[in-house]
Amino acid sequence: MSDLTLTGIRKSYGKTDVLHGIDLAIRSGEFVSLLGASGCGKTTLLRIVAGLESVSAGAVAIGGEEVTHLPPEKRDIAMMFQSYALLPHLSVAENVRFPLRMRGHGSRADQAQRVKTALEVVRLDTMADRLPRQLSGGQQQRVALARAIVSNPRVLLLDEPLSNLDARLREEMQVELIEIHRRLRLTTLFVTHDQDEALSLSDRVVLMNGGRIEQEGAPRALYDRPETAFASSFLGAANLIPVTIAAGEAVFADGQRLALGQGAAAGPATLAMRQEDIELSRVGGALRAKVVTRVYLGSRHRYILDLAGQRISVLAANSLTLEPGDDATLSISAGRTRILPA
Amino acid sequence: MTDRRETWLLLAPGLLLLALGFLLPIARMLALSVDGPDGFTLSAFARFFQDGYYPSILWRTVWLASIITAICAVIGFPMAYIMARCNPTLRLWLVMLVILPLMTSVVIRTFGWMVLLSRSGLVSRTIRDMGFGGRSFQLMQTETAIVIGMVQVLLPFMVLSLMGVIGRLDPRLEEAARTMGCTFLGTMRSVVLPLAVPGLVAGSLLVFTLAASSFVTPSLLGGARLEVLAGAVYKNVTQTLDWNFAAAQATILFAGIALILVPYLRLGGNRHG
Repeated sequence: MSDLTLTGIRKSYGKTDVLHGIDLAIRSGEFVSLLGASGCGKTTLLRIVAGLESVSAGAVAIGGEEVTHLPPEKRDIAMMFQSYALLPHLSVAENVRFPLRMRGHGSRADQAQRVKTALEVVRLDTMADRLPRQLSGGQQQRVALARAIVSNPRVLLLDEPLSNLDARLREEMQVELIEIHRRLRLTTLFVTHDQDEALSLSDRVVLMNGGRIEQEGAPRALYDRPETAFASSFLGAANLIPVTIAAGEAVFADGQRLALGQGAAAGPATLAMRQEDIELSRVGGALRAKVVTRVYLGSRHRYILDLAGQRISVLAANSLTLEPGDDATLSISAGRTRILPA
Repeated sequence: MTDRRETWLLLAPGLLLLALGFLLPIARMLALSVDGPDGFTLSAFARFFQDGYYPSILWRTVWLASIITAICAVIGFPMAYIMARCNPTLRLWLVMLVILPLMTSVVIRTFGWMVLLSRSGLVSRTIRDMGFGGRSFQLMQTETAIVIGMVQVLLPFMVLSLMGVIGRLDPRLEEAARTMGCTFLGTMRSVVLPLAVPGLVAGSLLVFTLAASSFVTPSLLGGARLEVLAGAVYKNVTQTLDWNFAAAQATILFAGIALILVPYLRLGGNRHG
């Protein structure tokens, strides 16, 4: 059974259409990410679920009950904001108790117990009496998370909760979110523009582009089998090269040919190759290219190469050293290329 | 070193004005209030508290200022909230509308109220026609008239102080409260109001001091019977020419306002400190 069902959600501001009919169902306990660049409508969709924005058309159902026109406080949800939105005049414990108090959940003692449990989950039970501004950014974030899970909502909404943290804290919080989700099994809708977050946290990723769902699926499936050029370039840095398909081979602009593992209709198409799937060598590869730039990344090098007049990016081990201007060859296993519509 | 000198240079005009225009006259007033024919005396203060007349004026002054402040806060808070949250064009119009009363002369404005509130005036007549009040009912020369006239002028101080503070609050806090089960009014009470306390304190401070020290509006709308302290001072200076007694009254007004405001400021400071 789905905890959250969105049917034909449309949203326009004046003449601008932000969402063009979104259909989405989230199963109980599922962790779904809305992934997309800024302006793709993902945050608007989340706010519609929360009841903070109205819909122009379509319906929202939470736990099988239609809530399209109910105000936020009548919906069984909790939302965590990018800016955390902790109430500055209340202590950590009072912030976490706030949803319980407002929704009238349980007795005072019962509420205190639930606050304590929620703060233990995020490992902040020793900070209960502090004010939000006495905490670090990472701690404030965890208070916001505790406040979101304390009321055990039917649907948990997370609006880019990790984007204000530095890289190290973000990775820690990712692990923490995975563990908390495994423990509590809250139905979660997570908005992010960061593909790594979406891929590492979710059961299912919904890739959005221009107010539409571009593609959805399990992270692995989405990453390995993108169906459009957009999906392919947004998830992992894919090299997209215009080619012509002829006799099961991709023909490049300069006449080079690459055998394909999959059948594809003859005619113009786009060849997608991920930078980590391409093997770079001095000689012996299937395709010839020229080194344009070399970037040292620490654990390896990134090379920018010229392949048939197109710039492509390739990752290579540090043992290989090519200089700009050198000739190089590329090989890629037939199963790792994708042919997309031109 | 130069930094410090520049700081002093920048401060100098303001400090000079404050010293010459405020501290010096206040010192002179304090000196005058304890000055008698034979040097130091507290006789002026003794005279103030001699019978119930002057204390009752003091009490009326403080009481009216409190009522005016409270009404300004109750009317001003929702208005300031809407002004802080509406779009910039509407906000500009509302700000203009709010400060419009300040742009007209106090005399003209007050005479306008006199016309409306007098026995044959529109407001008094309407109230009589609706069956409230007796045959000779009128609002002129009542405390109500003073309150109405003062609230109109002092409302902008409350609204603008509150608007500044509410405008700086993150609207996400209100949205967060809504997603946590707060109704709109609940959000006002549990989130916006507590966080707007500094603005409320600043606005109340302005309204209260201005209300307690005003005398044109109270004397015109309240009449001779409903005297306030500032009016009494004025009368002593211009009519009885008893400057020592006037200085004593001014000192008492000054001390009375300070006595009420200091704990109030503390309240604002603590809630947010």
